[in-house]
Amino acid sequence: MPSLVSLRPLRHYLLAMALFVTATSSQANEALTRLHQDIGHGYTQLSETSNALADSASAYCRAPTGENQAKLRENWREAFLSWQRVRFVDFGPIEQNSLAWQFQFWPDPKNLVASKVSFWLHQDGELTVNTIDTAGVAVQGFPALEYLLWEPTFLQSDQALPAARSCDLLTAISQHIARNAQTVTAGWYDMASYYESTDDYSATTIKAAMSAVEVIRDRRLGAPMGLRGNGRRNAYQADAWRSGLSLETIRASLEGLDTLFSPGLGMELDAAGASEIKQRLAARLTEALSNFDDLPDGMAPLLNGDGYNSLQALYIDLELLEQVLTDDVAPTLGVIRGFNSSDGD
Amino acid sequence: MAVRQHLKPLFLATSALTLLVACSEETNTANEAAPVSEPTTTARPVDQAAVITHYADLAQATYQDALTTAQHLRNAVEALIANPSDETLDAARNAWLAARVPYQQSEVFRFGNAVVDDWEGQLNAWPLDEGLIDYVANDAYQYELGNDGATVNIVANTEINVGGQTVDVSTLSPELLADLNEIGGSEANVATGYHAVEFLLWGQDLNGFEAGAGNRSATDFAAGDACTNGNCERRAAYLEAASELLVQDLEWMVAQWSPSTTTNYRHELTSMATTEVFQKMLFGMGSLSLGELAGERMKVALEANSYEDEHDCFSDNTHNSHYYNGKGIENVYTGTYTRVDGTVLSGPSLSALVAETNPVLDAELTQQLQASMAALGQIKAAAEASDNPTKFDMMIAPANTSGAELINNAIAALVAQTANIEKAARIVGVESLQPDDAGHTF
Repeated sequence: MPSLVSLRPLRHYLLAMALFVTATSSQANEALTRLHQDIGHGYTQLSETSNALADSASAYCRAPTGENQAKLRENWREAFLSWQRVRFVDFGPIEQNSLAWQFQFWPDPKNLVASKVSFWLHQDGELTVNTIDTAGVAVQGFPALEYLLWEPTFLQSDQALPAARSCDLLTAISQHIARNAQTVTAGWYDMASYYESTDDYSATTIKAAMSAVEVIRDRRLGAPMGLRGNGRRNAYQADAWRSGLSLETIRASLEGLDTLFSPGLGMELDAAGASEIKQRLAARLTEALSNFDDLPDGMAPLLNGDGYNSLQALYIDLELLEQVLTDDVAPTLGVIRGFNSSDGD
Repeated sequence: MAVRQHLKPLFLATSALTLLVACSEETNTANEAAPVSEPTTTARPVDQAAVITHYADLAQATYQDALTTAQHLRNAVEALIANPSDETLDAARNAWLAARVPYQQSEVFRFGNAVVDDWEGQLNAWPLDEGLIDYVANDAYQYELGNDGATVNIVANTEINVGGQTVDVSTLSPELLADLNEIGGSEANVATGYHAVEFLLWGQDLNGFEAGAGNRSATDFAAGDACTNGNCERRAAYLEAASELLVQDLEWMVAQWSPSTTTNYRHELTSMATTEVFQKMLFGMGSLSLGELAGERMKVALEANSYEDEHDCFSDNTHNSHYYNGKGIENVYTGTYTRVDGTVLSGPSLSALVAETNPVLDAELTQQLQASMAALGQIKAAAEASDNPTKFDMMIAPANTSGAELINNAIAALVAQTANIEKAARIVGVESLQPDDAGHTF
């Protein structure tokens, strides 16, 4: 079992309590302003692509042509990847009502998405966005739509789209996602002045990025590679295995860090006189992202073949990226960590 | 199981200034809100080594109780197997429920003490794909995606094949069952422990969000023609071996905490630097409180309306498992444990140590621990009500707002106390919880 790099258990990373020692407050505030803008841009993208997805779902159900189906799948992909870019933000309005889980309930080892979708398809009575609003996180987000759009057993069943009940569910979930995207975007802009004037948010944002990189390395990539536990490779532990986009989602999340987080952080590092660390981080991100030039969108084909070593190469680059954040960025900016919600098993 | 990113501790409410104060001066007696004067009575300083010794005593007593109750369980299982009847099955189920009380209180020792964490999977792994062990209903069995072992049914077969690996399971010994854990690489392949025994005593709970637990008949263990669902002798042998393994494992852990030898974990622990041990104590409290109990064991099940993620899903005893997890957290802080025979073990506590430096924080955390016990107590009370009891799997049903409120209250209380557990860590000299920042001062 080729475990190149030992996985340090997440539970030893104590996260969440964070301090930020300001270098010069005016520069720090500029950095926070930049971070707020960039992340706001990410949420706006999520909003726009989610609206397009909801429109596309309605259009497809009105006219279920092959062309409309292709467009629907593409719109799902764009909205889902928009979510991946901003997924690292684990504070602010996203904390309300388990919104992150509502967008994407993951991991789902017991295939709850399938059983909850099936449950709602077999229920009688009205099925609208209002039904979905209270239906539980497994049926409220992108994975439930992914099931409707890609699950082979479902596509071959008599309930396959564009069956009426399935179309109701498709449009209801799409509208629920669009609604949530508006909510989180509006909430983000509402807190602009609070975010920009609260120095704590600097560390909170850095901590969110660190946590996101660890989750990518350990759970989104390492777990399906068999680098956790006792070594079994399992494609079902990855994101978006149904649509074959497991690696594409990781790329999008890294792009999100590169475009929505890194510029604002760079300003903070400059202000702290640590421009060299800024450059090191940028280089690590570029290096990690360059892996995807030669990788397919999905992970499954690589898990049991010659492609495995390209996953290992990506894993190592994520390890190096995590090290820059933990060993260089965090101490430089005085970020310390407390209990992690992932402490536990 | 894999952990989702869920509960974020909500420290935004606590200002950075507070933390700066709490961090920078260990001896600072001031609370963030208002400075507090020293207690009027001059207490003797709390002996740090005595707090640690007492922590080890608490662990030993808790594991000893877990062992005693597991022995009762094994004896009840033997009685069931010798004479399967409704009465002997009930007695075995009651013994299992009683065994959970001390064990769940012991889980606070798990996080931070590797000797426990590395060992506990064999006793309390969860959730499990029970089709590994015995028969399951075809249409109501949701197992882990990609798990080859999820339907092999060890009871019904003398040889199984999981992921290309063939294993002779003709003789169901404790050792064999232990070796079968995580066969094929899936964490859901749980062959041993409390939940394997629970499944064999209760069977699958096929009632979904409705009232009712698993309903296995005693005749599943009957000899000859009276046997239901086949393979009764192997089922009985499995149950007996799993019960025996539980006893053996707990014997080993009791020995690890015994004061009468110098070659065990207790000796190792009590030889460590005091702050290192305090870190383990508080880390255990915080991890169980936040990530495990509030997160994995409550929030996942609630938010996804998933009875597959219910902790004691076969017996519907989840309310008690949660309650006694919470109790364990309180025990470590207050240095008090009520043993199964009713006697109370108490001694030098973390609470006293924190109070010495910051009595306001100590009072607040003590109150929070009581509040979380009250919230967990509400869940327990609703589940055990004589009139229309609402079990945990009913509380998490879609649109059960009152059930969701009970669970959310408990989650909120556990999250709130975790914030002060972190503060307490700094008070007792655990300066940085992040190794990479060691030596950093703020």
